[in-house]
Amino acid sequence: MLNQQAESVIKIRDLHKCYWVGTMPFPALYGINLEIESGEFAVLAGRSGSGKSTLLNIVGALESTDSGRVEVLSRDILSMNQDQRTHFRLHNIGFIFQAYNLIRVFSARENVAYVCQLQGKSKKESMEIANHWLQEVEIGHLGYRRPDQLSGGQQQRVAVARALASNPKLILADEPTANLDSMTGRHLIRLMRELNQRLGTTFLISSHDPDVKQAASRLIKLADGQIVEAWNDIPKPPSSITSSCPMSNLPLTERLQNYFKAARGNARNKKRRRKTRRRS
Amino acid sequence: MLGNFQKAIIGSIQIHHQGFFQRPELSRTIADPDKVIANLEQAGIVNYSRRLETFGLAASDTTTQGVMLIGMDPQRESLVTELEKRIGIGRFLQSEDDYSLVVGATTASNLQVKLGDEIIIIGYDRYGAMVAESFTLVGVITSGEMGLDSGMAITNLSTLQEMVDLPEQITTIVISAEEKRIPSLVDELNQSLHEASLEIMPWYTMFPVMKEWVTLHNGFLYLFIGVVLFIVLAGEMNTMLLSMLERTREFGVLMAIGTTRYQVASMLLVEAILIGVIGIALGIILGYSIILVTSIIGIDLSILLGSTSRFYVDPLIYPHLQLDNLGITVGTILLASVLAGIYPAWRASLLQPVEAIRNG
Repeated sequence: MLNQQAESVIKIRDLHKCYWVGTMPFPALYGINLEIESGEFAVLAGRSGSGKSTLLNIVGALESTDSGRVEVLSRDILSMNQDQRTHFRLHNIGFIFQAYNLIRVFSARENVAYVCQLQGKSKKESMEIANHWLQEVEIGHLGYRRPDQLSGGQQQRVAVARALASNPKLILADEPTANLDSMTGRHLIRLMRELNQRLGTTFLISSHDPDVKQAASRLIKLADGQIVEAWNDIPKPPSSITSSCPMSNLPLTERLQNYFKAARGNARNKKRRRKTRRRS
Repeated sequence: MLGNFQKAIIGSIQIHHQGFFQRPELSRTIADPDKVIANLEQAGIVNYSRRLETFGLAASDTTTQGVMLIGMDPQRESLVTELEKRIGIGRFLQSEDDYSLVVGATTASNLQVKLGDEIIIIGYDRYGAMVAESFTLVGVITSGEMGLDSGMAITNLSTLQEMVDLPEQITTIVISAEEKRIPSLVDELNQSLHEASLEIMPWYTMFPVMKEWVTLHNGFLYLFIGVVLFIVLAGEMNTMLLSMLERTREFGVLMAIGTTRYQVASMLLVEAILIGVIGIALGIILGYSIILVTSIIGIDLSILLGSTSRFYVDPLIYPHLQLDNLGITVGTILLASVLAGIYPAWRASLLQPVEAIRNG
């Protein structure tokens, strides 16, 4: 349950965004109103082209809008110039990308330490912070490896460590599990959720991965640039986010059967909840 | 090249009696050579040599050839020229030699003589009376230079003075000096020796065509360096632009996680300068190695020189490294590296993080 006293990390009012291809307008976001509170693990769900990534980029001060108001950590990010936005991102927002986007020539440790150095910390201190966060994401022993020597899941863990290393209040993750197999994706989501609960860092994740949606404390569904549904406290089948992942030890066919069984059960639960909500 | 030209036989500056260079006659000897030499030493010039020059006819058993007859002081000559190094057969003159002769390879071939053979030199003494003396061939110049290899016969100064009856008399003082110092030295000597009826001639006054050739050569050299620098600039800019385009996504990510556009631009500029510095270091190592080897074995330009070899330019050149030239080249390449980095750095600083990540 969300804390009713929690402060708003993100406040969006009547946000509109349109892309232009030549003279053809393509509306991406249409009248978005949204408030995310501190400590939430919010997931933006929706099909490709629904506006998830655009919304995430706007919240991350990476993209401009056509109209509306966007406040992140009580700061009006739309009124900032490019340098102010860069400074704001460095000190307040961590990013996790779909394609990891680590710097190829840096080791995992250097990738994580880089943001600390940008914040003005010494190299030694930055390396110590990097070591700490790499251990937090359970790959402390791989700090010396370069990205091309790591698996996809390991690279994404480095990206999570990098996002956390600057001690941000908000982490934005764009399809963090899209390039990972389901098991690795589940592990990563479990890790992110644990960090969210332990550190109180707010997460806003765009994803259409059912496992990510299951882990969400709040699910915001977008369609054609509009928020169509938003739920709090999504029921979570234990198998999808438990740290021991008991399904991984079962044969493939059994795993698939269990998966579909869980998915069906999940869908039925959702339907029941919707009916109950409508009646009430 | 220029050093070669001066070291062959001309020297940097020559002092003659007024009009001797145009009409080299024995009546035009330097009136008081000791006073001139005292003036030179007072001016700090230590690399000088005395000569007596006239014309004669060299005769072997079979044929004759007209030659320029030069009497040299063998000990002092090494201070102003490198004639000794150009002796291919036999040896150079020595102080104790008496009626010994060194001729060029072409002259020796024309006269059909070999080492130890007798050559008769026929000439005129200071009174215009014909004189003839027998000389022994001790050395042959095989330089490849047309001027030295043909039409020249060299003997000891004292021998020639005796032959033409001009004891203690000389026609020429040859000075070796640094190229930069030559104009001021000429002015200084003109002032100190203005009463002595002398002509003080730097090499470029004696051989103005050579001066023009050197100017032209330097012009082409600067043009060549300009072309090389343009290629360096274009090549490095191309490398930096390609590198920037290849890493567009990376720059987008760096900007997204908090790197400012100035930091991204600085990164590319530093990379461009580093490429320049590494290139300069490798270039210096490679260039210095080549110079080190060729300064010992020389570079034979005889095919390329053609008519220039008439001006006593040795076709075998020995390159050496001049620090001021090196400084100019290093500075210019560094500047080119900075210039090559500015445009890609500016382009990178204008990137929008989202577009760079999406399209990179």
